[in-house]
Order: sequence, then structure tokens, then C-alpha cells
Amino acid sequence: MSREALLAQTFVELADSLVDDFDVVDLMCLLADRCAEMTDAAAVGLMLASPDGELRVLASSSEAMRLLEVFEAESDQGPCVDCYRSGGPIVGRDLTAADSPWPDFAPRAVAAGFLSVQAVPMRLRGRTIGAMNMYRRERGPMPDIDVVAAQALADVSTIAILQHRSALGAQALNEQLHHALSARVVIEQAKGVVAERTGLDMEQSFARLRRHARNHGLRLTDVAQDVTTKAVPVASLD
Amino acid sequence: MSSERRLRILVELGGSHITTSRLCEVSQRILGVTSAGIVLYTDEIPLGSACTTSPVAEAVENLQHALGEGPCVDAYRHDRPVLEPDLANPAAPRWPAFTAPALDTGARAIFAFPVGVGSARLGALSLCVDRPGTLTDDQHADALVMATVAAESLLIMQAGGSPGALAVELEANSNFHYVVHQAAGMLSAQLEVSVREALVRLRAHSFAIEWPLAAVAADVVGRRLRLSDDAG
Repeated sequence: MSREALLAQTFVELADSLVDDFDVVDLMCLLADRCAEMTDAAAVGLMLASPDGELRVLASSSEAMRLLEVFEAESDQGPCVDCYRSGGPIVGRDLTAADSPWPDFAPRAVAAGFLSVQAVPMRLRGRTIGAMNMYRRERGPMPDIDVVAAQALADVSTIAILQHRSALGAQALNEQLHHALSARVVIEQAKGVVAERTGLDMEQSFARLRRHARNHGLRLTDVAQDVTTKAVPVASLD
Repeated sequence: MSSERRLRILVELGGSHITTSRLCEVSQRILGVTSAGIVLYTDEIPLGSACTTSPVAEAVENLQHALGEGPCVDAYRHDRPVLEPDLANPAAPRWPAFTAPALDTGARAIFAFPVGVGSARLGALSLCVDRPGTLTDDQHADALVMATVAAESLLIMQAGGSPGALAVELEANSNFHYVVHQAAGMLSAQLEVSVREALVRLRAHSFAIEWPLAAVAADVVGRRLRLSDDAG
């Protein structure tokens, strides 16, 4: 099967797992397997950060890989860790190099039969949620076309995971969004009330509202609300 | 099937930089319409657009915001798709104030899909086509999924913002008609009425003199217009 066909088929398989209540681990396992098939990587592993920023092994394409990834997460040292922290890719790092940045990790990887490693971040809008490691039995960087395919898989999975998370917290986020939007409207209305009563322009009116809120330790939205409902006369603002 | 549609949309949205304008562009492209926009509401109040792909979509949104009626208003209020395949010859006339000026913008068919996730309702996906015609079943199914993806994406954007404030990405390409709310505040002080009442008066004046609400509001804010004199 050609790479394009395999990529397309993977997207379809991913799609099948993106049902309302999909399991993130299942999705990541599928991704790791497909990435290993599609690129010249011998093994692929995925780590996802917990809400407190700690990396956890989520999926591996082989058991040897899994042990290695667990060691990496435990020892807080290795390509996934660096990739997650920097948010950028790790390109074709030689695991046998004497000056390896991972003195504890690299020998274990070599013992498992891997000579080089590549990693791509799982990122959305500047936020890194995890990383994908690809281990190879050769030295040198991975072919560009493999890196592109790997990043495409990582991107789609990132969005799927974040959308899954946002759907879980949708009601809370929606309330937050409505609150933020309503607050903006009330503040604009209050600026208008202040501008009319004082002759100040909109920017000065905003500064007046903010100063009053700050001086009295009040929230800007609450001050704005009181001004629009005339509970607080504009003349009494600081 | 819908998960396949969803994935195709996610792939189209592409990678790590989803923005509101990207959501609108992808909507327009994959649904094959002339222009698209995403409109946000809070409670029953139309707030404005998070993004639009063309002046036509923007004008259609402005009209609905000013008049308080139209396909997006209905889609949001009743939480279901609202389809008008021929605005010039509707099967059942609706939106008496909106229809004529909407046709003037160049829109001929208009479709609106509620944007929400579960019980969370955010607004509507607005689709305009410059010639009459219904959506195909395929377009309709894609639009439903697109509206859900848009809702999820908007929530992800807001999740990245600081609490209590609107996320920067949501503000970036938006038109939330802030000048109208400023004008309503000024009028409420001029007329000694509530801001809600002031907004009604502002809308009525705009409608009576057939002048866009945003322009009337700008005149109030610029102190070139006082409504206390003419609105009795």
C-alpha cells in the first residue's frame, strides 16, 4: 500500500475511533502503530502530559519501546521529555554519541537495538500537550517525507484529543465564554453612560471605571454593571 | 459516517493554528458556499461575528444584529438549522425587515446552523450563496459537523484565554459591535432609561431613517446625534 493510501486509511481508522465517547489511549495506540508502519521508524511511542505537566506513557508500538518510554518518563530524561519541554522537534539524534544529552537513557535505548531517535511535538496553538518518539535502527535523520507524515498524524491526534477534552468541559467553558462576552457588553455600555454624563471620551471613560474599581478593590464588571443600572451614580466615581 | 466528515474537516483545518478566520475559510470551502461567518450570541442577545469570509457575510450579519431577526437568530433561538434556498421567492415569507436589505447585499440563498456542543449553545454558522438553490444532503451533513467542530474550536480558544476575559483569538477577527453598546450607554443617560430600552430606541431610529445601526451608533458616540430631541 502506498504511503498516501496508508495515511488516508489511517485517517479513516482514526475517524472511526472519534465517536462521542472515544478512548484516548486507543486512539494513541492506533496512531503509534500506523506511524511505525508508515515511516522507517522501528518503534514509535507517545507521551501525553497530565494537567500538572507530568509526562505519561500513553502508547507504544512494541513492548521493548514501552519499557524504554516508561524509563524515560520516570528518569525525566530523553527525547520525548526534551521535545515536550521545548515544543520543537528533535531531529535524528545519534544515541551512540559520546556526548549524548541523555547519559542514563541513551545506553538503554542502544541496548534495545535503536541507534537514532526523532521526536515531533503534539502542539496546538502554541500549547504542547505531548510528544511522539520515533526510534530507528539506523543513524542519521529520518527522511523528510516520513517526518511530514508523522507530524500530520500528531497534529490530527492533538486536535482530536483537545476537542475531546473541550467537549467534556463544554458547559463550563461555555459559561466562561458567555460570561466574558456579557462582561464586555456591560463594560462598553458603562463607558457610554460615563461618557454622556462627564463629556469624557470612551478611553477616558474606561480609565475612570477602571480607576474606581481598583481604588475600591472591586471587579471592573461589577462597577460597570452598577453604573449601567444606575445603582452607582457616575458623579460618585473616583 | 459523521466521524469521517469530522476528520476530513480536522485535516482541512490543518495542524496547530486553528483561528476563527480559518474556521470560516474552511466552512466556505468545504461547504462550497459563496461566503461564511460565525455569529455569537449570549442569552438572547446577538453579539456579532467571530469572523466572516466576505463583506456579504458581514453585511448579512450586521443586518441581523441591527434588526434582531434573520436565519441565524432563528437557528440560535430554536437550536435547529434554518434553510432559505431562495430569499427572493421564499416558500413561507419570514423576516419582513431583513429580507429586502439582505437581497441587496447579493445573498440569494441563506443557511444557518446552530453552533453548540451538547447543551452549550454559542451561536450560529451562517452560510450565504449568491444564487438560489437548496443544499445537497452531503452539504447539509457536512454543515452540521462543521458547526460542531466550530463550537469545540471556539471553546478551545476560550480555554486558552485568561478567566473572565475574552480570549485574544476570539477577539482577533471579530466584530462584536462595541460602538452600539457604547451608544446604548450614552442614550440611557440622555433619555434616563435602561440600557435595554436605549438599545431598542437606537434600533428603532436606525430603522426609521434607514441608516445602518453601526453608523447611527457612531453618530451618537461622536456626539453628532442626540435622540432625546426626536424620539418621543
